[in-house]
Amino acid sequence: MLKKDMTRRGFVATGAAALAVLGVPRVAGAQAAFPSETMQVLIPTGEGGGVDQAARAFARVWAKHLGQNFEYAYFPGASGQVGYEVFVGKREPNAYNLLFGNIGPEMIMYATQNPSYKYPDDIMYFGAIDSDDSVIWVGGNSKFKTINDLVEEGKKREITLSTSRLPHPSTIGALALADATGMKVRMVPYGGGGPARAAAITGEVDGCATFLSSSLGLAEQARFLGVFNNENRAPELTNNAPAINKALGTKLPVLSGQRAWAIHRSVAEKFPDRLEKLTSTMKQVFDDPEYKEVAEKAGTPWEFIQYADAAACDASAKEFAALAAQYKSLLSASK
Amino acid sequence: MEPSLGFVAELFAHAFSYWWLILIATTIGIIIGAMPGFGSANTIIMLLPFTLAVDVDVAMIFMVSLFCASQSGGGITSILLNIPGNGGSAATCIDGYPMAKKGLGQQALVLSFVASQVGGMVTAGMSIFLLPYMAKLAYYLHSVEMVVIVLFGITLIASIASENMLKGLIAGGLGLLIGAIGADHIYSTPRATFGFLELYDGVPLIPVLIGVFAISEALMMIESRSVLSDEGLEVAKRAGWKETLEGIKWAFQRTWLMIWTAIVGLIIGIVPGAGASIAAFVAYQQARLYSKTPEKFGTGIPEGVIAPESANNGCSSGDLIPLLVIGVPGGTTAAVMMIVMTYHGVQLGPRLFIQSPEIGYGVFVTMLVAYCVMLFTTLPLTRYISRLILIPTAVLAPIIIAFTLVGAFAPRGYMFDLWLTLFFGVIGYLCRRTGYNVVAMLIGVILGPLLEANVMRALRISGGDPWTFFSSPLANILWVLLIISLLIPSLVQWNKNRQAALNPAVENQ
Repeated sequence: MLKKDMTRRGFVATGAAALAVLGVPRVAGAQAAFPSETMQVLIPTGEGGGVDQAARAFARVWAKHLGQNFEYAYFPGASGQVGYEVFVGKREPNAYNLLFGNIGPEMIMYATQNPSYKYPDDIMYFGAIDSDDSVIWVGGNSKFKTINDLVEEGKKREITLSTSRLPHPSTIGALALADATGMKVRMVPYGGGGPARAAAITGEVDGCATFLSSSLGLAEQARFLGVFNNENRAPELTNNAPAINKALGTKLPVLSGQRAWAIHRSVAEKFPDRLEKLTSTMKQVFDDPEYKEVAEKAGTPWEFIQYADAAACDASAKEFAALAAQYKSLLSASK
Repeated sequence: MEPSLGFVAELFAHAFSYWWLILIATTIGIIIGAMPGFGSANTIIMLLPFTLAVDVDVAMIFMVSLFCASQSGGGITSILLNIPGNGGSAATCIDGYPMAKKGLGQQALVLSFVASQVGGMVTAGMSIFLLPYMAKLAYYLHSVEMVVIVLFGITLIASIASENMLKGLIAGGLGLLIGAIGADHIYSTPRATFGFLELYDGVPLIPVLIGVFAISEALMMIESRSVLSDEGLEVAKRAGWKETLEGIKWAFQRTWLMIWTAIVGLIIGIVPGAGASIAAFVAYQQARLYSKTPEKFGTGIPEGVIAPESANNGCSSGDLIPLLVIGVPGGTTAAVMMIVMTYHGVQLGPRLFIQSPEIGYGVFVTMLVAYCVMLFTTLPLTRYISRLILIPTAVLAPIIIAFTLVGAFAPRGYMFDLWLTLFFGVIGYLCRRTGYNVVAMLIGVILGPLLEANVMRALRISGGDPWTFFSSPLANILWVLLIISLLIPSLVQWNKNRQAALNPAVENQ
């Protein structure tokens, strides 16, 4: 069962190769074409989370096409606000500094928390890598078998749903569902996806509202009740849960988060060639078979991998900002 | 789900065959554990290119060994310099440093290592055979129960402050207020940040730790020629192998303390979001409570080193249980390990023990082997490490300030954190000069946010009903135990006073 296939010599060779990969970018000269330095990625959430994993998986393949490696820094806090503020206020707008975030949650944060930066004046999403649906799921031992069960119970008492943070598309989905059906829902933020999932599995709350891909590894511990999209794009991974609109006859908005790369808005004017290089090489990643392999290893079903250009990202961002404004009183302390 | 002995033996043989890798990882782990600001999580992140490139079992052996060792290493600077390497070893300062000042630094280091390693081995061993039952604990320890557990740690403020209750409570209250700075846990509304973006995520622990302990300690050191008292200096200069053996003897004379405080750490570690800091403080508080000589805690006694060190290493196993059994990381290091495991296609959660039991159980077997290896590598070194304290303060203090400022800057890369460190350094120095207990303040800073998060969450779930804190049988049992633990010292004291009043001769004996 156990194989011992790594010798000390093999270990040293692998370690040396891994470290050599890290050292590659420093060879490039100052006069070389963009990019001649290592790319610096700012993640506005914690290390090890879904965004971090998705960024690393994408950049691993992107580095081949771009000819540079990526380094990561993490600035979590205040639902992503800290990371965005640091990026806009303290990172040089030179196209080497990138931000990788999640358009949905972070535009809701933008609309509800009044940060000091301005969208779209200061920041620009230039390409999304996926589209992840919001879902509601319950623990494997829960008495709720369908979304109808949950809604019916919610008409009798308030249903508690855990979420990583209040400014999140799945929170809006749950609140919109409550509006449309007359059920009562109370969202409980846990400050992170892990604790939010644990709360639903262990029965502290009735269920969890989150993005689908972050909950796929839970297997039989989670029972998916419904997807906030017009169809379930990964039925075999989600116990064939229905699209909520189809199951309940509602007209809730599609609440899919797009994880996307962003730069300072001024880069598009000052360095259009650099932006073009980033965009063109980014597109090549989607055709690279290696990406399918690493994306799935990072936990994102291939069905969700979907390129969206800057215009589509902007439309999505504005849509989420508008939705957040509608539910602002429930998502923030300001009434 | 329970493994056979033959299977476990096979896992041991496999882990031992990588002794050289465990040796490398534990050495790195101990060094980074002893350096404030450098932890296992950021080290493992830096080494991701390596762990993603090798086989998953090799990657896990490396990461798990490094993780365990970083917990063990945290006690070194706590004991010798009163500077905790990480939050989990902050409680070790309370008795470790007074021991070092008495010239018993070598024995204290041995106690710390033996307690770490025995505690780690006991809990790793328990985890192998009791994993399914332990995982169930997470189903019972929710926000309400965590409120009471955190309160156990917070009551330590009152115990520590017993010498000067008013000043101690003021220091603890100040710590709780500092811990409340930052975005609130429900709506992310910033509070008391004074417009500083760097405080939105709360006051960062490492700059506070370094400021309050390291910088203020360095400032205090400069005022005298040596860290040690004159007597302590003579004792420390004479130290040899005998002191190492003495430390081992002292540790094993308190074997039961090592075991039960490790179990306290294991239980607290299982709760996602709790961590080594709370485990160490709760274990210290409990050890003091059940001690026959609680008044000696804080003066430099072996029990005060053993309890927190055993608990924070017991917590290491607990941290990994939610990751492996339910697929949810319990802490940052576990989250980074999750990246590596999912990248290698390992299915976490209950299926792990069906599809890849060698990985699931292998984690705890590796822990056992790593702690075992450390026992042989760390103990001989204590004789030499402890001589650090003999360096004259004129040389030591500037080195401490320079090194720890790097540590304060490293985790987040903000210049702001350096200023914050110096600010807390001055606060710490003033506290020490005026008799306000800095440990009491630190307990507030570390445990305050945990308490607030759990209180707010419990109230949110219950719709604002305060009776929710008494709504679960387990929580109610914990409340009763908490009240008993608060009353016991007063009752014992009252009884002693009564006995003394009834029979003055007893007092004279």
